[in-house]
Amino acid sequence: MFPRQNQSAKFRAALKNELPLWVEHGVISEAEARRLSDAYQLEALRAESSRLLSAVIFTVGGLLLGGGLLSLVAANWDELSRPLKLTILFAALLGFHTSGYLLWQRAGWRRLGEALLFAGCLVFGANIGLIAQTYNISGDWYGAFGAWAVGSLAVAWALRSWVIGLLALFTSFIWFTGFHNDGYDNISFLYPLAVAGTVLPLAMAAHSRVLNVGGWLGILIAVCVFAGDDGSAKQLLLAMTAAGLLVWAVGNLHRLYGWRQELANSTAALGLTTLATGAYFLSLHAVWEEAQARQLRVVFCLTLLALALAAAIAVLLRARATAQRLAFGVLAVAVLLCGSVLLALDATRLDVLFTIIANLAALLLAAIIIAIGIGEERRVPFWLGSVYVVLLVLSRFLEYETSLLLKAAAFLGCGIAVILAGIRYETYLRRQDPPPPVSQTSPTEVAL
Amino acid sequence: MNTDLKNSLAQPPRWRATLLALVAAVLLQVLILVALPARKALTLANGRPVLLKVEPVDPYSILSGYYVTLGYPISRPEAFANGNEFKHQERIYAIIERGEDGFWKPLTLARELPRELAENQLAIYGQVEYRRIEYGIETLYIPETRRHAVAEDLRLHRESAFVEVKIDAAGNAALERLHVADRVYE
Repeated sequence: MFPRQNQSAKFRAALKNELPLWVEHGVISEAEARRLSDAYQLEALRAESSRLLSAVIFTVGGLLLGGGLLSLVAANWDELSRPLKLTILFAALLGFHTSGYLLWQRAGWRRLGEALLFAGCLVFGANIGLIAQTYNISGDWYGAFGAWAVGSLAVAWALRSWVIGLLALFTSFIWFTGFHNDGYDNISFLYPLAVAGTVLPLAMAAHSRVLNVGGWLGILIAVCVFAGDDGSAKQLLLAMTAAGLLVWAVGNLHRLYGWRQELANSTAALGLTTLATGAYFLSLHAVWEEAQARQLRVVFCLTLLALALAAAIAVLLRARATAQRLAFGVLAVAVLLCGSVLLALDATRLDVLFTIIANLAALLLAAIIIAIGIGEERRVPFWLGSVYVVLLVLSRFLEYETSLLLKAAAFLGCGIAVILAGIRYETYLRRQDPPPPVSQTSPTEVAL
Repeated sequence: MNTDLKNSLAQPPRWRATLLALVAAVLLQVLILVALPARKALTLANGRPVLLKVEPVDPYSILSGYYVTLGYPISRPEAFANGNEFKHQERIYAIIERGEDGFWKPLTLARELPRELAENQLAIYGQVEYRRIEYGIETLYIPETRRHAVAEDLRLHRESAFVEVKIDAAGNAALERLHVADRVYE
């Protein structure tokens, strides 16, 4: 069986269209075409598309059904006694879950069943609010979202459902924002740990890229919010850079150690994007001019950095050849940026030097992203890297006082350079042999 | 997203394990829903009835969406003899005393639940929040159809407004109903 990352619906659909042509032109025999068709389950493609559509329809239907029932109950709420209210609330919850399970497991209506179970989790959230109203419970508003997240996460794990997992992640994030802002900022670092311990393993179990990227996004935002508390830009960017390195390294570990191949690219891309964002902000001179940073979260940032370095070193040890050099480059960028921030916490006088280092690190990162695009013959990283270089150059010209003539020359130069680079890259791609239909993943590639 | 949906659907967990896990998860949801109002329900069932006068919190924002925010004489720390000794986020027990008019009035604040109180006295558990004390009885949810009626009643007849509250032996309070101008909201 081929790795799951090669089984995207888009790739399989393209392969299904190409196979008859290859047979017709004698590129492969009919027997080989059948073997490819079996290996990629091309015959099941149409049925899968229909099932996806029905799953979406059923989920939307479940949402509307849940909303409609709750509105119906709410419309007659005033006339109902408290015991009757509670009976209706619990009956609705159990009704959705029971019918969802029976339809899914017993009647063979899997997608409809899952949609009803999802609606059941929405009803659970609504019930929390209605019960609070029924008993006039006053308390922290975010507590309801925390309870909703816990209940939804339990069902998501029971069903290995990424949709319900996403609901749990969303509600838990709302809880985190309230919890953090309500004076519990000293212990809000527990949130990213909780997401890492519950949502990310669920994403792996459910083979879900969406939930995986969502989970990492939640962690990244929470880490930055925690580190940047009290308005320290340096600490926030230190955490962002270290977390970016960590996420990139985890993405590569997915591929190199074969944990979840299908999560490798999106995770590594998110990590590099975060790293590039941190590098861009650190390339601004104003960040380094900031007054002495408060060292409130330095221990947290150092722990995060140590974890990221350990993961990156694990990537370095496993990767080979070009991939190892690129990984070393990413590590060097992160070390330059994080090292500069840590030194700057005590040496604000060297702001010009740190600005130059940050700009060089950002340019190095752009070069790495472009190199990944060229090495793996992928246009997106190539163009993103090129745009990043242009963004850095233009930002410097807008940041510093220079003559309009020089700025005009810089804009024109950047534009021409990018167009020329693009033409050369496209020419390079056209000279290459067409890629084979099945691109087996080498364990030495670096994921973006 | 399509791939994620496909992947999540492609590999069903074994039904028996799934059923057990789902039952456990739904039980957890039920437990959360039961635990949420449990203390209030017990207090309402077993608590001692107390009448408190209603005081304005923010006259320009009586109605906040689907609930009203209520304040009482016991919500102000300065109404207690030793109210200025307690700081923000400190947990307290407010000792209140029944007046001759039937309404309960602030007496003193304590850090521990008093072991013995006079027959006409009670302790309510609360927490100092900046310049106010909160007891968990400050929010009254109002049905959609009566929202504007209660806002209007409170605006015109605030002096006569009072609430019925139940307080249990541990000092936990639960709001039962609001009386304004001969009308009852619960």
